[in-house]
Amino acid sequence: MFNQKSKKIGKEVTKKRLNDLFILITLCFVVILINLWYLQIIKGKEFEQRAINNCIRSLVEEAPRGEVYDEQGRLLVTNRPAVNFSIIPAEVSDYKSLVDDLSTIVPIDSSNIVEKIRSKRLNPFQALTIKRDLEKDKIVLIEEQKYKFKGTLLTVQPERKYLYQNLAAHMLGYVNEISEEELKIPTFNHLTGGDVIGKVGLERYYDSYLRGEKGNKEVEVDALGREVTTIRVLKPIAGNDIYLTLNSELQQFIEKQMFDKNGAVIVSEPFTGRILAMDSHPDYNPNIFTEQLTVTQWQEIAQNKDNVLNNRNIQSVYPPGSVFKLITAIAALEEGVVNKNSKVYCPGYYQLGNLLFKCWKEHGHGNQAIVEAIANSCNVFFYTIGQKLGIDKLNYYASLMGFGEKIGIDLPGEQEGLLPSEDWKRKTINEQWYPGDTVNLSIGQGFLLVTPLQIHNMLCLIANDGLYLRLHNVEKIISQSGEIIREFKPELIKKIDISQETFRIIKEGMKKVVESGTGRLANIEEVKIAGKTGTAQNPQGENHAWFIGFAPYDKPEICVTILVENGGDGSAAAAPVAAKIIQKYFQLKNNKIVKNEQF
Amino acid sequence: MSVKIDSANSLSGKSFLNYLLRLMKHIDFTLIFLVIGLCILGLLVIYSTTHQEIINVGVALITKKHLLSIFTGLLFCILVTIIDYHAIAKIAVPLYFLSLIILVYVIFFGKDIAGSRRWIQVAGFEFQPAEFAKITLIILLADFLSREMDKFSNLIYFTLPFLFTGILMFLIYKQPDLGTSMVFLAITLFMIFIAGISWKYIIIVFFLLVSFFPIFWSFLKGYQRSRLLLFLNPEMDPLGAGYNIIQSKVAIGSGGLFGQGLFSGIQSQLKFLPAQHTDFVFAVIGEELGFMGALLLISLFILILWKGIRIAQEASDSLGTFIATGVTSFMFIHILINIGMSMGLMPATGLPLPFVSYGGTFMITNFIGIGLLLNVHLRSIFA
Repeated sequence: MFNQKSKKIGKEVTKKRLNDLFILITLCFVVILINLWYLQIIKGKEFEQRAINNCIRSLVEEAPRGEVYDEQGRLLVTNRPAVNFSIIPAEVSDYKSLVDDLSTIVPIDSSNIVEKIRSKRLNPFQALTIKRDLEKDKIVLIEEQKYKFKGTLLTVQPERKYLYQNLAAHMLGYVNEISEEELKIPTFNHLTGGDVIGKVGLERYYDSYLRGEKGNKEVEVDALGREVTTIRVLKPIAGNDIYLTLNSELQQFIEKQMFDKNGAVIVSEPFTGRILAMDSHPDYNPNIFTEQLTVTQWQEIAQNKDNVLNNRNIQSVYPPGSVFKLITAIAALEEGVVNKNSKVYCPGYYQLGNLLFKCWKEHGHGNQAIVEAIANSCNVFFYTIGQKLGIDKLNYYASLMGFGEKIGIDLPGEQEGLLPSEDWKRKTINEQWYPGDTVNLSIGQGFLLVTPLQIHNMLCLIANDGLYLRLHNVEKIISQSGEIIREFKPELIKKIDISQETFRIIKEGMKKVVESGTGRLANIEEVKIAGKTGTAQNPQGENHAWFIGFAPYDKPEICVTILVENGGDGSAAAAPVAAKIIQKYFQLKNNKIVKNEQF
Repeated sequence: MSVKIDSANSLSGKSFLNYLLRLMKHIDFTLIFLVIGLCILGLLVIYSTTHQEIINVGVALITKKHLLSIFTGLLFCILVTIIDYHAIAKIAVPLYFLSLIILVYVIFFGKDIAGSRRWIQVAGFEFQPAEFAKITLIILLADFLSREMDKFSNLIYFTLPFLFTGILMFLIYKQPDLGTSMVFLAITLFMIFIAGISWKYIIIVFFLLVSFFPIFWSFLKGYQRSRLLLFLNPEMDPLGAGYNIIQSKVAIGSGGLFGQGLFSGIQSQLKFLPAQHTDFVFAVIGEELGFMGALLLISLFILILWKGIRIAQEASDSLGTFIATGVTSFMFIHILINIGMSMGLMPATGLPLPFVSYGGTFMITNFIGIGLLLNVHLRSIFA
């Protein structure tokens, strides 16, 4: 128990201490009030001014994307300055009237803008571009009515420019603002809405090299949006330049040949894998995407019945028709089903049970050895040997030559096609594999679907006697300081396990195709071409015409694959085009040699 | 003695009614009016900053919710006033342990908001247990100090209050909520000071705190360190962590003598100012109501604190003194840190302003505190 005295003393101390506490409290508030007086009364005017001025803006400075050059160093894709209309979300109080006012000057998509503003990764003080690439007269109109557009600004930013319009459009691709879905992709997780990325083609595949790093400028602006002070500047870093293997002159020539056709062309060097030209028709002008497309404009392009945006070389699949006979021939030679001299009699049809498969030549080719059969594209010969081989063997050699899987070219969106097998048919169609299916497959019809790129890959393998080189579009990537970031040297993936003798016989057959067979229209004086025609039956309409070929026959330098959609007969529609392309190639090459000798 | 009122609980309905009438007659109405004055000021400012459409919340919803927490707070206040504080002190230890359990629960199962687990949900209501823990700590310390204050020369007794607080601080620091855990330390220091520890001990505690600072620093998270550093130099990062302090100072400064008027503060209305209705509500008052508005607010606070001190001094026993001291110092430390932070005089720790800031749990806690003050005051009269 405490004694009363100490308790009383304790109470007294407590009272005194409480007084002390109140003195402390009072002192603290005096300090606060003095400060408040200083802030509000003495410095008040200054702070008031600062509050009015106080609009810190963060302006993104987009990095110029890397430029794209062709094989000869010709500039294909660059950037140009464009004036963009941006808003500072924190400073706009009434979006609706802003959008209404703006739409009286330029066509805009208001739902799009609202969506962008709602986008989650958004700093309210960071300028958000809502209309790109304004025309001169529109800029003047906006400047005149600036009072209506509070919290907005016009900025100059680099925009993509494709100097040759439609040239190699599918290969080059195009750029546009990142979409909500793309923002969710891990590769892009440091980007924000409104950023521009490569959407398709090389622009997409090499986006991380081309894009560069955007800069940022933080400035304090006054209520009218004029810059007062710059707080921090982070310079944008331009993207890396890309040098292609593309020969733009050859590409231009090819596009001229194809302008009235739908189809695909690939030209490459077999011994390096460098792609010299790649054309897909119909084509489009990638410049239209740098102006902001409205929804209707976009739908017009995306829903075009000819699939303008599709790169037919890698994204469309077709039956290969007779060009596939080369696979059947390789399989038969390798498996010993036939040798160079074994003959098959072609009466114009092939009988399987009570089914009759016709040769394209009504009265038949008579006795045919393999070289003649390739030259004449005799169906009966290949029906016969295909039937002897069976589906498993055909499937094995086709997949050995790259069918049924992606080739792995440096472009996004490549398709696998379809290489049928017994197993596949049972699983997907729930039907057994019939001998008639094998007969169809042996001439490249039936279930088989291929991309032009796969066919081209097969062509290169034959031209290279089985050396499998990676097909690629890019020669090197070079930084702005001139440093080589990546170089793409010829890359040997593997050697296909097929005998040299087989390739020799196949090549001889292909030579005969052009000399005296179905590909006679590809015969030119300058150089000896080996090739193969194909006429693929197309249930939707007119047949697709194929031609594949390489030249010179004895020492291949160039491989050409041509597909003309609904072109009809391969020998008539595709072979002459190939011949012209090969002619052009050698002509350009000779010019180059002459030029070099002049120096 | 106060026990008499307790024994009045052999209550017939009539005697309870008499009891209430007696309470009504002697209750400190001045204190209540002061608090209501603050609440009205808070309501006005909150309505001013949130009346514009706020995405996902809707017009005036925040103001309505704020009004609701004021009424809930008043209910708690009445309840706490009626029950004799001696009865409350009897369950101080169970209350304290209940707080500990809930705080441990929060660390593991609390609702995660912006990286902190501070909230739990009970019957559809969300609340921050750390706020109620302040009250339980005050009652526990008051109970302990009133019984054991004479034994303070014994080091074990002296360290016990720090132990009680330390455990709570650790649990709240884990949430993590550095600002609130500092409030616990401040409450303890003030109460021990009032308990009359000798200056010798005060100096020892001071040096201990200073020498512990490096250890304390190593426990801080990155953003907490940067806040403390930014307090020293806000211009270091004007768009990042220093942004709040700069904007708040600019807002207050631009208010001038009479302010720019409700609904017309540039900083507040254009949303340059962050957390306007919670942590930086004082900046809105400074901007929209000016020096005069801030002076009115601070005067109300000083009067309430003065009332608290008077009640502590006039309490019938030391338990009452300590309870009133605890409540007063709890409010004082919140006011000081909040206003100091808004003016750039203190690090930004995110402590709300009593009776003004938006936030239900905090509002109720403050009303419970007022209830305790009224309680102590009433019993001093009856005694």
